[in-house]
Amino acid sequence: MKKRLLSILLCAALTGILVAGCGAKKNDDTNKEDKTTETKEITVMVPDWAVPSDDMLADFTEDTGIEVVMNVVGWDDIRDKVAIAASGGAAAADVIEVDWSWVGEMNSAGWLEEIEMSDEDKADMPTLETFTIDGKVLAVPYANDYRIAYYNKEHFKAAGIEKAPETWDEVYDALKKIKEAGIVEYPYTMPMNADESATTSMMWMAFSRSGQVFNEDGTLNEEAVVDALEFEKKLVDEGYTDPAIKTASGMDCYRKITAGEASFMVGPTKFVGLSNNKEECSVVGQIEAILLPGKEGTSDKTMPLPEAVGVTKFSKNKEAAKEFVKWYTSADTQKDLFKANSSIPTRNEVLAELIEDGTIENAGAMLDEAKLIKSPFPQGIPAYYSEMSNAIYNNINKMVLGEVSAQEAFDAMNKKVTELTSE
Amino acid sequence: MVHMKKRSEGALGIALLLPIITIMVILVYYPIIKTFSYSMQKMKLTAPQDTGFVGWANYRSVLTSDSFWYSFQNTMFLLAVVVVLTTVFGVCVALMLNVDTKLSGVLMAAAVLPWALPPVVNGIIWRFIFHPGYGFMNKLLIVFGVTDKPIEWMSSRFLLLFVVALVVAWRSIPFSAIVCLSGLRAIPQELYEAAKIDGAGRWTVFRYITAPLVRPFVGIGITAASISAVNIFDEIVALSGYSDLGKNLLIESYLTTFSFLDFGKGSALTYIIMLISAVLGFFYLRSLGKEVEY
Repeated sequence: MKKRLLSILLCAALTGILVAGCGAKKNDDTNKEDKTTETKEITVMVPDWAVPSDDMLADFTEDTGIEVVMNVVGWDDIRDKVAIAASGGAAAADVIEVDWSWVGEMNSAGWLEEIEMSDEDKADMPTLETFTIDGKVLAVPYANDYRIAYYNKEHFKAAGIEKAPETWDEVYDALKKIKEAGIVEYPYTMPMNADESATTSMMWMAFSRSGQVFNEDGTLNEEAVVDALEFEKKLVDEGYTDPAIKTASGMDCYRKITAGEASFMVGPTKFVGLSNNKEECSVVGQIEAILLPGKEGTSDKTMPLPEAVGVTKFSKNKEAAKEFVKWYTSADTQKDLFKANSSIPTRNEVLAELIEDGTIENAGAMLDEAKLIKSPFPQGIPAYYSEMSNAIYNNINKMVLGEVSAQEAFDAMNKKVTELTSE
Repeated sequence: MVHMKKRSEGALGIALLLPIITIMVILVYYPIIKTFSYSMQKMKLTAPQDTGFVGWANYRSVLTSDSFWYSFQNTMFLLAVVVVLTTVFGVCVALMLNVDTKLSGVLMAAAVLPWALPPVVNGIIWRFIFHPGYGFMNKLLIVFGVTDKPIEWMSSRFLLLFVVALVVAWRSIPFSAIVCLSGLRAIPQELYEAAKIDGAGRWTVFRYITAPLVRPFVGIGITAASISAVNIFDEIVALSGYSDLGKNLLIESYLTTFSFLDFGKGSALTYIIMLISAVLGFFYLRSLGKEVEY
C-alpha cells in the first residue's frame, strides 16, 4: 500500500513539474519583460565580424543607459532564427543583422520596423538605397561591401604588362599572357560553387560588362546574362581558373589573390585591408585595388553587397533598439568599428577620412569605386530573392562543371525567375 | 473487493502513464498534427496576407516537381549504398570483435568512436579528406600513382553521393557492428560444440548456425542504417552545401521551408519524408519483435 501511494505521489509530482514547466514560460517572459523595461536591456543578433568592442558597448551604455546583450550567431543561421521566431510572432532579438539579400523578403513578411534617417545621413550613405523600400528605411548599413577589382602588379609586370586593365578584353589578354609565361597556373579566380557567392558574381559580371542584369519587370536580361555566363565559361574552359574553385567557398576563391596564386579578381572591399596584412597575405605590396573593368573602358557602376542592422517589428524595446542602430551606424562608431573589425564604413565621408589619414592603407580605387555604387535591381531586392538565387547559382555551377552550356544555364534560371516574377 | 482492487490498479496505470503521455502529446503528436495542418495551407512567410486552406495542393505541387524526384532519386541512391556498406562492414567488424584477444577492449573503443562523433563534425573531417585541392585522399592517390591529377570528388552527382554515403556509413557501422556483436555473443556455445563434434567446417558453422541466428540482429542494423540514410543532412551540408547536385529530400525540405520560407509546401515535404521513415520504422519494430530460436 505504501509503495503504491509513493508511486502515485511521484507520478503526481512529475506531472505537476511538467505542467508547471510548460506554464512557467509566460511568467518568466513577463518577469524578463519587466526587468528589460526597467534597465532598458536590448539584444543584438549579428555575426562575429559585426560585434563592437567591449569598450564601445560600455560607452554606449554609459551614454544611454541601455544595456546591450550581444547574441553572436553565424551569418547563415541569423535568417533562420529570425524567420522561425517571427513565424511565431516573436523577436529573435531586438536588433538584427539584415543582409542586402534578405531585405526584400523581410519587408514582404513585415518583420522590420521603419527607421527614421535625416536627409544628410541618407546622402552620405549610398548603400542605404538597398535597404529603402517605398521610401521607408528598413535597416541601416554598417559594412560597406561592394565589388572592386584587384590585380597583382608583379604578375602583370612579369608578363610584360605595365598598365592596370580597364576592360574585360584587357583582363582576358593579361590572363593569357600570365598563364603562357608560367607565372601562375590559374591567374583568375571567381566564386562558382553552388552558393550565394556564385549568384552575386554573375550579377556583377553582367552589371560591369553590360550595365544591367534584370529587366524592368524583374526578369533576367538575356543579352547581359548570357554574355556574362559565356565569358565566365570561357575562362573556365580555357583553364584560367583552378578546377577546385568549382566546389570551393567564396572566401577560398578570393584568398587565392592574397596567397599569390591568382593574378586578377573582382571581390569584396575587405581585401583592401587583407592584402596589406602580413598575417593574411603572402604578397603584401603587390596587390592593387582598381576600378571594375567594363566593355569599352572601366565600368561606370558597381554592385553593392552591404550588411545592415534593423529593428524587428516584434521587439518590445523598439525605441532603445532604434537608438542602438543610430549609434552603431554613426560616423564615430564607424571609425571605431573599422579599428575593431576592419568594417569598411558605409558613410562616404568617414571612408574618405580613413583613406586620407592613412588608416586604410593602399586603398587604390576604393573611394572612386564607392561613388559608382548602384543597385542592379530596378524594383529593389525582390521578396523571392533566395529562391531566385538558388536557381541561378545551381545553374551556374552546372555550367562550369560542364553539364550545360551558357545558353542552357540561362534558359533554366530564366524559367524559374520568370515563374517567380509572375507569381 | 476484487473489482475495487482492479479499478485502483487501472487508475495507478493511468497515473503512471500520464507523464509520458503528456510529453508525447506536447512534443510528438501536437507537432505532427500542426505540421499536417500547415501542409494543407498556403503559407509563405513572405506573403502573410495570402494564406488559406488549399487542401492537397501542396502535396500535388511537391509530387509533380522535378526537384522533388531528383532529390528522391538521390535519397534512394544514398539509402542503397549506406545500407550495403553498413551491413557488410558492420557484420565484418562484429565478427572481428567477437574474437577474444587482449586488444578486444581497445578495438571495441576504436570501432565505436565514429558513432560518437556529431554528424556535422564527421562531415567537416571528411570534407578535408576529399577536398579537391589539398585533400588527403587525392594526395594518397597521387602518391600511389592511381591518378596524376586531383579528382574533383564533389563535382559529379554520383561521385559526390558515394562520398556522402561513405561518410554516413562510417558513422553507422559501429551501431550495426555492436548490434550484430550482441547477436553473436547471444548464440549458445553448445551449438558450436555440437557442430564441432558432428565435424562441421568453419563455413558450415557460419552458414547453418551463425548466419541464421544473427539475422534478426542484422535486420535491426539494416533498419537503423536505412533511417540514418533517409535523414542525412549535416554531412551533405558540410560536404557540398545546399547545392542541387547532392541534395536529398531533407535538404529539399529545409530549403523549401527555411530558405524559401514556404511553410505550406515545406510541411507537405516533411510529411512525405515522415511517411518514408515510418515505413522503415515499421520494419525496424518488426525486427525487434522477432524471436530467435536456438
